Amino acid sequence: MLRSLTAGIVLAFAGSRANIARTILSCAGVVVGIGALILVVMGSDFGQRYAVAYSEIQGGLPATLQVSVSGEISDRDALEEDLYRAGGEQVSLYQTPGDLIRIRSGDTAAPDVEFRGVDAELGDIRRLDMAQGRWFSEEDTESLAPVLVINQSLADVLPDLARVQIGQDRWVEARVVGVIADSNMDFSWQTAYLLRSPASEEILFSAPESEAPAEEFGFPMGENTYVVRVDPEHPGTADYGGAFAQTLASAGWRWGVTDPEAIWSYRADSADMLEEPLRYMTWGLLGIAFITLGTGLLGVLNVGLVTVRERRRELATYRALGATRFTLFVAVVMEAVVVSVVAGAIALAGCWALGSLASVVVTELDLVPPGVDVRVPADGVLLGLGSAAGVGLLAGIIPAARALRASVVAGLRE
Amino acid sequence: MAVGTPLPGAARSPDDTSPLLRVEGMTRHFMVSGTRIDVLHDCTFQVARGEVVAIVGQSGSGKSTLLNLLGLLDRPSGGTYVFDDVDTTRLGEGRRSRLRGEGIGFVFQQFHLLERRSALANVGVPMVLGGVPVLRRRTRARELLESVGLGHRLSSQPHQLSGGEQQRVALARALSREPALILADEPTGALDAASSRMIMDQLLAQAELRGAAVVVVTHDPKVAERAGRVVELVEGRTR
Repeated sequence: MLRSLTAGIVLAFAGSRANIARTILSCAGVVVGIGALILVVMGSDFGQRYAVAYSEIQGGLPATLQVSVSGEISDRDALEEDLYRAGGEQVSLYQTPGDLIRIRSGDTAAPDVEFRGVDAELGDIRRLDMAQGRWFSEEDTESLAPVLVINQSLADVLPDLARVQIGQDRWVEARVVGVIADSNMDFSWQTAYLLRSPASEEILFSAPESEAPAEEFGFPMGENTYVVRVDPEHPGTADYGGAFAQTLASAGWRWGVTDPEAIWSYRADSADMLEEPLRYMTWGLLGIAFITLGTGLLGVLNVGLVTVRERRRELATYRALGATRFTLFVAVVMEAVVVSVVAGAIALAGCWALGSLASVVVTELDLVPPGVDVRVPADGVLLGLGSAAGVGLLAGIIPAARALRASVVAGLRE
Repeated sequence: MAVGTPLPGAARSPDDTSPLLRVEGMTRHFMVSGTRIDVLHDCTFQVARGEVVAIVGQSGSGKSTLLNLLGLLDRPSGGTYVFDDVDTTRLGEGRRSRLRGEGIGFVFQQFHLLERRSALANVGVPMVLGGVPVLRRRTRARELLESVGLGHRLSSQPHQLSGGEQQRVALARALSREPALILADEPTGALDAASSRMIMDQLLAQAELRGAAVVVVTHDPKVAERAGRVVELVEGRTR
């Protein structure tokens, strides 16, 4: 049995090598089919990682809520305590300052910078890719000067990050501790995060001289905004995070907001929402890829059947030389498997090259968040080569069965 | 093959006089469109180890059918065929294939070499089927091709060889597993007179060297007269 198996495999390899034209012909359909399959897995993997990264940068890690409270807060400490009591595991201020803040370095001023007042905890809630320096630490809250993290676009226009001033009516010295990687998913082209601390309290919570900018869009984040990360299973995540606002509103009297309508909360992360359409899209594309692969299978099967008919004399010669039926069965099936796996490897190499090229393009054009590249995932490799072997096996069995049925004597007469 | 079981035809004691093959009352008929056609009737003969036997007869007398039966490529409709002390009529398909590979070498009229494979690879095929390790296989194939005068054509493919050279490759292939029996079906049928003579010389010399019996089916009286014994088939019956 083992000898027959080994002999069958040796003959299969020799047959594939000897009949290059047949091998290439059989390969073509499978290369396209397996290539399509791997591209779908690649695309799906890229889409998922892109969606997760986008969501984590833009909104936060899974189960992040944005909570806004309109109106004057009588006790901010009580509100923040209640944000934890309502289910928050990490809480950060996410405050648009009441008035326009400007930033300059020496004589160079950046006029259109969007500021957000945040806590150091935001670094645990959102994905922040640092290009230089670091994110805020708790020690920074003791700084006598306001502490900033700015994005790369802003850093590029400021000539000296060690000499930075911010201000509304008057300029104050500020300290830049880090620069986050530029991405087009920030809330503005030029962005600055200002750490909430005694040094920045006045700037962040001063009464606006004009209407808050966010109100212009009717967006309820202008006054008192927080980002809150809860357990994904927490009931507060129900109704896209709306349930959290209802829970919080029940204690509103403690911090001077009694109107439940003045409290909003919603899911800031979008990974969950993107997951379902992505899944349907992946299934749809996988279906198309499998149909393509099925066509490739029929191609290999067809070539296999034709060649078995053409090779009756060769197969009969093998039988005359002592090949058992099992050996011939293995040889014919293995030929199809070898051809398909080679085709799968070619498709894999093609997809890898395509992925590398696409990765360079999207990275160079800054189309994707940092760290999200286009690549062939491990399950794509397994699925591609596994499907190739499966196709070969399926496409080889029928011709092999025919090869076994053929009469040796008739084959030798041809 | 179990340890201790001798290869067919190998290492026999010189005083072993049992016949290599024994055919008794063998018949073969075919059904064609519901009509029974009897090709062989009650064939009985035997071949000793190392003996050279020619089977002659007119076209349609059943020579090739008999050769296929002796080569275990076909099953008789009746009678007994004992090869190397094994009653082949009771063997399963797998065992028949192994016995054929180990004990019988074929030389066909049309050579039946595998296209797009070198002479060396062609000679190696029976050894692949016999599980001979690759290095030993190559060495032996080279030696066999050198012994039939083709040491300079090892990597030539069949279409690059003359008819006589192709038949010599086929002869080397038939000898590759040291068979006890060589079956040759019109081995010179596709060759000119000079090549025919050379092939017969080499076939008989190599068989004698290895102690193999030869059964050759032929129309050619010159080939038949070189056999030690002639079995004539007339209308499917041996004489």
